[in-house]
Amino acid sequence: MTAAVQDWQSIARRSTRLRKINFVLLIGFLTIVSIPVLLPFFWVVVISFSARTGGVESAVLWKACSILVPAVFAYGGFHLAVKSVRRRLIAAGALIAASTAGLYLTVGDDLHLHNYRFLVNPNLVEELRGAATAGGQFPWVWVAFINSLVVAAISTLFKVTIATLSGYYLSRFAFRGRSSFLQGLLILEVFHPWMLTIPIFLVIFWIGLLNTLAGPILVLTVLDLPFFIFIMKGFFDAVPWDIEMSAMTDGATRRQAFRYVVLPQVRAGIIAISVLGFIKGWEEYVFVTALRTGNSYWVMSTYLYYVADDVMGVDYGLVAAVSVFYMAPSLLLYLFLQRHLTQLTFGGIKG
Amino acid sequence: MARIELVGVAKRWGNTVAVEDMRTELEDREFVAILGPSGCGKSTTLFLLAGIYAPTEGEIRFDGVRVNEVEPKDRNVGIVFQSYALYPNMTVEQNIMFPLRFVSMEATEAQKQAREIAELVQIEKLLERRPGQLSGGQQQRVALARALIKKPNLLLLDEPLSNLDATLRLSMRSEIRRIQRELGVTTILVTHDQVEATTMADRIICMNDGRIEQIDTPENLYRRPNTTFVASFVGSPPINLVAGSIRESRFVAGERSFPLSGITETAEVWMGLRPELLAVADEGLPATVATIEPMGREILYGADSPLGFLRFLEAAPLPRFSFGDKVRLATVVENVLFFDGTDGGRIDGASLNEFS
Repeated sequence: MTAAVQDWQSIARRSTRLRKINFVLLIGFLTIVSIPVLLPFFWVVVISFSARTGGVESAVLWKACSILVPAVFAYGGFHLAVKSVRRRLIAAGALIAASTAGLYLTVGDDLHLHNYRFLVNPNLVEELRGAATAGGQFPWVWVAFINSLVVAAISTLFKVTIATLSGYYLSRFAFRGRSSFLQGLLILEVFHPWMLTIPIFLVIFWIGLLNTLAGPILVLTVLDLPFFIFIMKGFFDAVPWDIEMSAMTDGATRRQAFRYVVLPQVRAGIIAISVLGFIKGWEEYVFVTALRTGNSYWVMSTYLYYVADDVMGVDYGLVAAVSVFYMAPSLLLYLFLQRHLTQLTFGGIKG
Repeated sequence: MARIELVGVAKRWGNTVAVEDMRTELEDREFVAILGPSGCGKSTTLFLLAGIYAPTEGEIRFDGVRVNEVEPKDRNVGIVFQSYALYPNMTVEQNIMFPLRFVSMEATEAQKQAREIAELVQIEKLLERRPGQLSGGQQQRVALARALIKKPNLLLLDEPLSNLDATLRLSMRSEIRRIQRELGVTTILVTHDQVEATTMADRIICMNDGRIEQIDTPENLYRRPNTTFVASFVGSPPINLVAGSIRESRFVAGERSFPLSGITETAEVWMGLRPELLAVADEGLPATVATIEPMGREILYGADSPLGFLRFLEAAPLPRFSFGDKVRLATVVENVLFFDGTDGGRIDGASLNEFS
């Protein structure tokens, strides 16, 4: 009897120990894997705030890392050790204050906002190269920003509206050729859109939308639709018929049942494809470049390209600052809505 | 509140027949159950009445007026689905008030009505919750309240109790009946559970294979089933059916024969013996006990007899017999039923003279 009790205790001890080792290994693995992902981003941010015209120094990066990395580890340890949310918040606040002070003391003198002058200076080229050069051609960054916003937002609006409506139809109505239509949607995914660049260029040219924002908007909409329709069909499949029939006997028309009862239940899907669609439009480079013949319109991706290459020569500080400015909206969108994005797989599997 | 008529209603999808030649009438305020096995067309009938399906043939009338072409939303029918079909994005109160969105009504009035109906089904404390936070029984009550709030012409209940546990099912049975009486709403309950049908309904429509087998009171359905199907579907444990034939005023089964009167011509028949009307006696059919199933208050025995395997029921908490015991079975001969051997229809007038 006694022997049996001791056995249980040692088994329990061993599994607790194993769990701890596994946990430490997991944390270590994730940390190592995330370094190559996070470091470049962090570096870009550091460069954008520290680089002077011309060269890049990594000294600031290492100094900043030497303060931030221990701070992150310290918080990690604290988070594991302490359960109270209030204390965790206090610890986080203290660590942020300490590392801010540390950063100020070590690299504070090297930080400046000069690289972000493109945000307030409408004519950067003139400043850099004098009035005689590419003047007038290269826009203020906000023009490109708003154009990018227009392309991303309007194409997203189209994508979401069409994908939602057709996903619902495909999910609910049995019509001749439905399964071949669905297979067709999947086959379209096989072809890389860049293979279609020349025919798309010709079509856009013939219908007279070359050199207008309508070109990329339409093309981006069409390219994403097959996949998005498929995703939305999956989400609608997961909404039971009963609920719709119930709404109709409750006095709703089919459209009202869709609007009040079905649509709220595919909200996660709509948010997910909105975010994906928006980011796709925001970062698009190939088709916005292909569908213009001169500098008829500027979007953020072409702006960044010209900053990095043709117009400015290489000014790493400026390029990094534009990059940070360019990625901020997608990053914010992603951070706020990632909870909804993780649900995407569930809907997808059901489809 | 309305009188409902089905006149020769049929629903087919291509060659698949779901419902064929439905003919029946429901009086105002009546509670009718549609009873049948899965796939017999009872849910189809429900959806036909709700207007979700349109009949291929025949006419559905509310208060004598043809409603075939009337959209579901205009029929003023309340449905409680088996899954309850509550709207997960809305609170209980919003769920209950949903049907009132489509009639012009002041918000305060709608809220007042929602509260009244919630009190009737005893969920007035749950109005702020969401369906996900409710138990099965509470969800059921919400679904009932939502179906009742616009005072429907017809209340349709699609297997409403099948997702509840046994105790709750028992209490909801009387609860639904109470609410139905209180509101006086014409109600159709679809179920495959005969106990549910017989305990709740004024009349039962027994369906099989898309056709009505019998429409009658629960008592008549049990005592005078029109067909072998009804006889074996209604009544638990199921009726014993013995295949045999009638020759020279005797029922012949295997080597046994029993005198009977009322029928003289030669025919293939089924004899129906209710287990609860078979009893062990001093005189009677010899049999050997083969199975014993204690059911709490009663014990269900199975015995091998010259007529084949027969079930009989004894009201006793403890088994009186054990496997292999020799017993003699007797029955009240007036209660023995005879059915036609080919179409299964009940043969009236035939009665057994002696059972031994």
